[in-house]
Amino acid sequence: MSAARWAGTEGRRLRLERRLLANPRRAAILRVIGAAVALLVSGLILELTGRSAPFLAGEVVDSTFGSRFGLEETALIATPILLAAIAVAIPLRMRLWNIGVEGQFYMGAWASAGVGIFLDAPRPVLLISMAAAGALGGAAWILLPAIARAWWGVNEIITTLLLNFVAILWVGWFSIDIWRDRAAAVIQATPLVGATLPTFPGATILHVGFVLPFVLAVVFWYVFRGTRWGYEVDMAGGNPRAAEFAGINVRRRIVTVMLLSGAIGGLAGMVHLSGATFRLQQTISSSYGLSGFIVAALAGASFIGVVAGGVFIALLLHSGIALQGAGLSVYIVVAVYGLVLVGIAVGEVAARYRLVFGSPARAGSPAEERAPP
Amino acid sequence: MIWFAALRTAIDAGTVVVLAGMGELLTERVGVLNLGLEGLIGIGAVAAVIATDLGMGPWTAFVVGMLAAALFGFLFASSVVVIRTNQVLTGLALVLVGVGLSNQLGNDYQGSPIQDRFRPLPIPVLADIPQVGPALFNHTLVVYVAYVALPLGVAFLLYRTRHGMNLRAVGENPAAADAAGINVTGMRLCYATIGASFAGAGGAFLMLAFTPVWAVDVARGRGWVALAVVIFAAWRPFRLVFGALLFGAMISLGFIAQQQNWGVSSFVLSMLPYVVTLTLIVVPAALARFGIRARSTVAPGSLAQPYFREER
Repeated sequence: MSAARWAGTEGRRLRLERRLLANPRRAAILRVIGAAVALLVSGLILELTGRSAPFLAGEVVDSTFGSRFGLEETALIATPILLAAIAVAIPLRMRLWNIGVEGQFYMGAWASAGVGIFLDAPRPVLLISMAAAGALGGAAWILLPAIARAWWGVNEIITTLLLNFVAILWVGWFSIDIWRDRAAAVIQATPLVGATLPTFPGATILHVGFVLPFVLAVVFWYVFRGTRWGYEVDMAGGNPRAAEFAGINVRRRIVTVMLLSGAIGGLAGMVHLSGATFRLQQTISSSYGLSGFIVAALAGASFIGVVAGGVFIALLLHSGIALQGAGLSVYIVVAVYGLVLVGIAVGEVAARYRLVFGSPARAGSPAEERAPP
Repeated sequence: MIWFAALRTAIDAGTVVVLAGMGELLTERVGVLNLGLEGLIGIGAVAAVIATDLGMGPWTAFVVGMLAAALFGFLFASSVVVIRTNQVLTGLALVLVGVGLSNQLGNDYQGSPIQDRFRPLPIPVLADIPQVGPALFNHTLVVYVAYVALPLGVAFLLYRTRHGMNLRAVGENPAAADAAGINVTGMRLCYATIGASFAGAGGAFLMLAFTPVWAVDVARGRGWVALAVVIFAAWRPFRLVFGALLFGAMISLGFIAQQQNWGVSSFVLSMLPYVVTLTLIVVPAALARFGIRARSTVAPGSLAQPYFREER
């Protein structure tokens, strides 16, 4: 490479060289570094505003690893976050942004609550019907953005996001008014659903839904590595025109991928409803869609990365809840998320640059500059 | 009778969207997509609240709100224009930072309304017309500026000046603009910052005139609505005003329905503005696709694309 050739010669100037493609592994490492730096900066800001960061860090470790309950709680939060992250990661492979996972989560929870409250069936049948309803509810909620994007060229970021507001209000309406549990003392929630997910043997609160995101991550890892469909989706994302010429129906891929994403988002709602809250309530999601989005951005649509990142964010979020006792509000956590996202974005850019000694490369070298795939 | 009051509310409610949307229009015209309006409105609002609390008058507080949002807008612009980070990711980061920070800072001011706010400025003679007068000609100065001076000014800048032509050129084809000697980086930094300050003005207006008490998540999706209205407006200033008024009308309809006891759930009424905004961008696009209505304008050519001179 030109860098080696020019190092050591006269005119040793340090400069940045940009490449056309970033090495995926390097990009992943730099994204994580970016996120870590953002966390350090946030810690520093907290320290400067009079909150002791080391103390907070100690609190985090204690609340999570200090007890078995803490670990189970973290896993309980990780489940919807991981599912939401997978839902974001799938369309991200086509460079489509589904920012509406929060809304799909709500509609999935709503649909499965409807089935769970009003359908009388044995537990396994009821759970399967609820899961189907949840997936359908989530998919239905992204149908319009998907069609509008594929055929009419409407930006999916804004349509999916606007539907979040509608979904949250919709669930609020049903849980506070239409389906409200008028018999029990609880207010602002529906009656209990008819079937709940079993907990793990020996666990107090952790339900079996925890394995679902890991199963899905492996399935989609395989789909995008070893199947024709996965390859075609990746290709349509990388270069839609070339994909079109190769005979791939890009529009249909867009709709399929987005519906799949919505269905998983809805399923996340069902799992959380039947495994953790047991009733539909307006606050059923603690911004799990948002956390999932951050995870997918951190992982760069790699499903193995999603699993690692999801567990990490769940730790962070769980500690956020623990920290509320220590005088930190949930708002700070949101702002820290923002900084983490900036760190990820900067890391992604940094992956495309390399620090080089020497004068600019000669003409004709761009061909060598492409990083190995 | 009530319909005139409704018109008044619609105009007031739409002002935030006009302000934030006009800023975004300028930003997008130079090729920068700033998804962070929701956060910037929050920052403008909380800065105005804090400024009033420190004893500043409404106008000073308004300027403080604009400047605070401009600062964050400049940081955003530096990141996406100079470092060239992904505009979608960075924009969403701005939403989170803005919303989180403003909620945190505003927490102490919850429930205490701002006393020293903008006073309505009746236009002589016109304001005395029965019904119509109070609805149209008895607003605060910011409202007149947002609905009349701002679209006129922006339209003049964009279509009648050389600088405006350069501005559009940067958004359509930065390489060509660069070759013609236009400073692409400077232009983008400048208008992304100005655009952000408009969103801050929207937030400050919320606090100083429309709903003068701090509440969590002040923007309530208006930032996203403004982004959608820019698309509906096909990046043209006057259509933007029309779209914002439609949004305002839906908010206003919700108020009327509650006042008149129409028996519609408040949840459904609150959904209305978002649903209508969604229709505003989806339906015209669908009609254009079926050839019923020609698509008049498409997005600026380089929207959300970073510019590298070396790759020209």
